[in-house]
Amino acid sequence: MSIEVGPRKRRPVPGPSVGEPVREPIVSRLRRNAPLLQLASVIALLLACGITISGFVSKSSIYSTLILASFLGVAAVGQTLVILIGGIDLSVPALISGANLISTWLAGKNWPFGLVVVLVLTCATVVGLVNGFITHRFRAPPLIVTLATGAVVTGLTLGLTDGGQVSGSPPGWLTRFSSPIGTVVGIGIPPVVVLWLLIAILLGIALHLSGSGRRVYATGANEEAARLAGVPTERVWLGSFAVSGVASALVGILLVGFTGQGEAGVGDPYQFLSIAAVLVGGTSLIGARGDYWRTVLGALLMTLFTTLLVGHGAGEAMQELLTGVLILLFVGIYGREQRVRDRV
Amino acid sequence: MIATRIAPLMRRQSTFAVTLTILLMLVNVIVQPAFAASGQIAPTLGTLAPFALAGMASTPAFLAGGGGIDLSIAPLMGFTNILLVTKLLGTPLGSPVLAVPILLAIGALVGALNGVIVTRLRIPPVIATLGMYFVLSGVNLDLVPNPVSASPNWTDNLAGSIGPVPGALVSVGVPLLGWAWLRRTAFVDALLAVGDHDATAFSAGMNVDIVRIAAYSLGGMIAGAGGIALTGLVQSADSQVWGDYVLVALAAVALGGTNMAGGRGGMFLSLVGAMSIFLLENLLTNLHASAYFIQVAYGGVLLIAILLGARTFTAAKEAR
Repeated sequence: MSIEVGPRKRRPVPGPSVGEPVREPIVSRLRRNAPLLQLASVIALLLACGITISGFVSKSSIYSTLILASFLGVAAVGQTLVILIGGIDLSVPALISGANLISTWLAGKNWPFGLVVVLVLTCATVVGLVNGFITHRFRAPPLIVTLATGAVVTGLTLGLTDGGQVSGSPPGWLTRFSSPIGTVVGIGIPPVVVLWLLIAILLGIALHLSGSGRRVYATGANEEAARLAGVPTERVWLGSFAVSGVASALVGILLVGFTGQGEAGVGDPYQFLSIAAVLVGGTSLIGARGDYWRTVLGALLMTLFTTLLVGHGAGEAMQELLTGVLILLFVGIYGREQRVRDRV
Repeated sequence: MIATRIAPLMRRQSTFAVTLTILLMLVNVIVQPAFAASGQIAPTLGTLAPFALAGMASTPAFLAGGGGIDLSIAPLMGFTNILLVTKLLGTPLGSPVLAVPILLAIGALVGALNGVIVTRLRIPPVIATLGMYFVLSGVNLDLVPNPVSASPNWTDNLAGSIGPVPGALVSVGVPLLGWAWLRRTAFVDALLAVGDHDATAFSAGMNVDIVRIAAYSLGGMIAGAGGIALTGLVQSADSQVWGDYVLVALAAVALGGTNMAGGRGGMFLSLVGAMSIFLLENLLTNLHASAYFIQVAYGGVLLIAILLGARTFTAAKEAR
């Protein structure tokens, strides 16, 4: 039963003051919030890879690992926001594969690639907005809604491209952007890794210090209370899902540069991995607990773990199984639900 | 006078799915008159059976509430299909008297494992069952990298007919009878109470965890039956074919009108939901729609079902 208090339209509250926390000393905040377990795990996995996999300690193989982590990290940008507001987005792989196919398909028809990128990202934004609108306005479960929109996107893109048969190839700048031998202003770092770093810094700051970030946490903690406090929760929902759509499509386009071709099903592994990166980082499915920097660690952790397994010749079944166990372990530590007896 | 009779009917959960099913049935018969021919009924029902069982198997996890969902139903159907064809058929364990109980038990066991992870480890159901989904799909791929066709066996009758009786009436009918029987016991009452409000059920002295574990395990058992029906249909062990049932399983529940937040609904509703999806697919196939378009239609139907059911969600959320 919702109780309407006062008029529905409220005066907008100036951004930064919404839910302004009481400042506590930065050291004690770090001690309480720092993802030490994840950090230790990443270092341990790095050492394990370096010691047990011959040839891992080389510039090209470390860059390759970082690039794979970047794809996962960018794919998990929207997933982080959506999980922070208490939702989940299962349309991520459909949008990655879809953007991957459509951009190659249009490139094969000699469309200018800049236009293709704008078009694909716009379509992905629309899908994200639809996800956000349906889940917010109709209170429908995000899990089912995003699965359904994902199916629609997959069906449409496969139908358009005749089952994923695309012949286009990416422009040279995109290949260099996603390649381990790419450079940024002359420095030998793959541009896609730099892009991820920039996203991580900006999104991290936005979540922690800006009014928009506060509104995201407020919506995730208690949507009804946030709405009554003047947070435009519908805009927060729409925005988060839209970001998720755009980030997924971006990964799809970047993957064209990485693999050099369009490929149906290229996004499939990201279904589980994008959620896993968020949860392993320590962001909780309950909402409002966690941030994007944790997801960065989660993405590194998942990528290194997969590298370790592949390096030791684990088959696909074994990889899936052990990854599943890893996630249960971390979720068991961070994301557990309350006992029923504690909710009485 | 008529309006007062129709109004309560409109509010019933099942009205939408039943109406849709009847309409689609009529359109199917108009487009393809042979659809209703007596020789066609048994094979048609045989194709329907895995749809119906996938939807029915997904139902208990939703009913149990607390964000309950079982995404591992479809790969579990694939797993039992593969076990039956590659491990049981052709061995002494392959006779229906032994194979059916073994597969149902394996299904129930996997379901129970889901239930234990959800209730005892308190891992959100989405994560637990998505994890199980990937574990099972990995194992399936490991067992049969390429499809293995089955030698002639008894499951063929399930997709066709057993004497004069369509085999699907047995493979779907027996689980339905089981559910009908369970509804007369305290179990379904407990399940609905837990799904409606677990804290209240707990305060009333119910063992919430055991009820939920039983719900997941019941779903797994019916997925086992679904795997057998699937084997009857495809007559091979295939690590891909179950993929078609992932969305169907959820859409059947949503279309049927079971409340996905828990506490209201049942397997008969999901059966009706599955029938309307099956009829829709049949219609689109007969109109020569591409497989991709059929997938778009599944997604669309799922969305429409959710939008139509949206009022129940709102009611359930506001009650919290």
